[in-house]
Amino acid sequence: MELVVALGLIVFKVALLIAFLLLLPLPLTWVERKIAGHIQQRLGPMRVGWHGLLQPVADGIKLLTKEDHIPAEADHFLFKLAPILALAPPFVVFVAIPFGESVSVLGNEITLYVSNMNVALLFVFAVIGLEVYGVIFGGWAANSKYAVLGSLRTCAQMISYEIPMGFAVIGVVMLAQSMSLLDIVRAQADVWNIVYQPIGFFVFFVAGLAEAQRIPFDLAEAEGDLGAGFHTEYSGIRFAFFMVSEYVIMLLVSVLAVILFFGGWNGVLVPLPPLLWFALKVAFFVYLFMWFRFTFPRYRYDQLMAIGWKVLLPLSMANIIITGIAFS
Amino acid sequence: MSRTQNSIGTWIGWTFFADLANGLALTFGYMFSRSVTMQYPDKEKWLPYSRYRGHHFLKRDEEGEIKCVACELCARICPCYCIEVVPYEDEKGNRRPLKFEIDTARCLFCGLCEDACPADAIALGQQYEFSSFSSRDLVIGRDDLLAKPGKAAMGGGVVAARLDTKKDVLVETSETRGYNWWRNIRRT
Repeated sequence: MELVVALGLIVFKVALLIAFLLLLPLPLTWVERKIAGHIQQRLGPMRVGWHGLLQPVADGIKLLTKEDHIPAEADHFLFKLAPILALAPPFVVFVAIPFGESVSVLGNEITLYVSNMNVALLFVFAVIGLEVYGVIFGGWAANSKYAVLGSLRTCAQMISYEIPMGFAVIGVVMLAQSMSLLDIVRAQADVWNIVYQPIGFFVFFVAGLAEAQRIPFDLAEAEGDLGAGFHTEYSGIRFAFFMVSEYVIMLLVSVLAVILFFGGWNGVLVPLPPLLWFALKVAFFVYLFMWFRFTFPRYRYDQLMAIGWKVLLPLSMANIIITGIAFS
Repeated sequence: MSRTQNSIGTWIGWTFFADLANGLALTFGYMFSRSVTMQYPDKEKWLPYSRYRGHHFLKRDEEGEIKCVACELCARICPCYCIEVVPYEDEKGNRRPLKFEIDTARCLFCGLCEDACPADAIALGQQYEFSSFSSRDLVIGRDDLLAKPGKAAMGGGVVAARLDTKKDVLVETSETRGYNWWRNIRRT
């Protein structure tokens, strides 16, 4: 009986998580367009609903009812597989992400995470690396030169940026003496990691921008030079899958930045509920992502490579050495 | 080349991404500045200056009679032959237009008809919303031209509007000196 309850709880949590993550891109697109508008002194969407609030719903209906077009020369199997490959890993990663310690519902303690893995960080980086396959397959299968160029760029970009990103968090692991995200947050109860790991955070955040393929590192879609990059040939719901995946990864990088460097659900000064603290911090990072998008131009391809290998990688290694010497 | 001549301070700035921070500060400021969007046609619309050459209209004299004397000078001078005038003699013995049609689909809004008119009967107003689903609807007859709104004394401003653009609303604006396009733009 206890097993059934525990299993049911896990299923319930996973269902809740999936529903939450699938629905969250809707308000996020609205927020992004509003931020874009106001930064450019426009109003953004205004016509559908109050201040355009229903615009994402209208967009969703439009994407659902559009023709699901597959180019004649495309590799049909890979073309259909790619959006799912791009969508699934960001969702899987959230299994290992804790959103708080626990809440008591009807006298039962319910933990705010699906699983507390002892190698959560490793799991996160392993699974998030799989997302790139969706992009590469999508670009390859479309049989279009823009899409192939986009996925080639993604491929190179991911190789260059996952290494510094992985190295950047080693400092955090050294401080917490654990790879469990829960333990990492508990270790930051007094002082957030950003105080000890400013370089680590910088490398992690820049690499995270590249990982999420947001401006200034969105070379994979680079609408100026590649049409729409790897999803040039996608339309309708498959395109929506790529978009949802992009937003979930953006959310994931924000969540990771908060958990690893900004104390997770530990608050400062103002006593707010831990979950609210967590949401506020994540919201700030999501805003930062969007703010960056409408401020910076895109880096050139060779600059991207140079930043990845010549700046971020040595910086992350130096960070490990400094952390090792200072905290040994 | 200028990079080599930079001072140490600039190098320190580069190290701490001063230029990126400046850019972020600028866009953050813009984000909370007023937007310059005119919500046309939902809420407001642009009323052009009175020199604007929009939809034609025919004028009446003090007695309410049509001013046009059907001399057909406007039809003569029209570079695209879009005005068609048929004169007749009314009960007072004056020469008046029986038919006065302007094909606004062909009109290029040069305003030469206005210049040529000896009776100051035709002019180009400020109305610019006359798109139509059929080109036949764009041939405007005499009575419709008489009913079109005349020139507003002032122009160059934003007036209240609604989605129904078919209604001829003419609202006087208080903007006597024209619309300052830079009013809402932050200058730094």
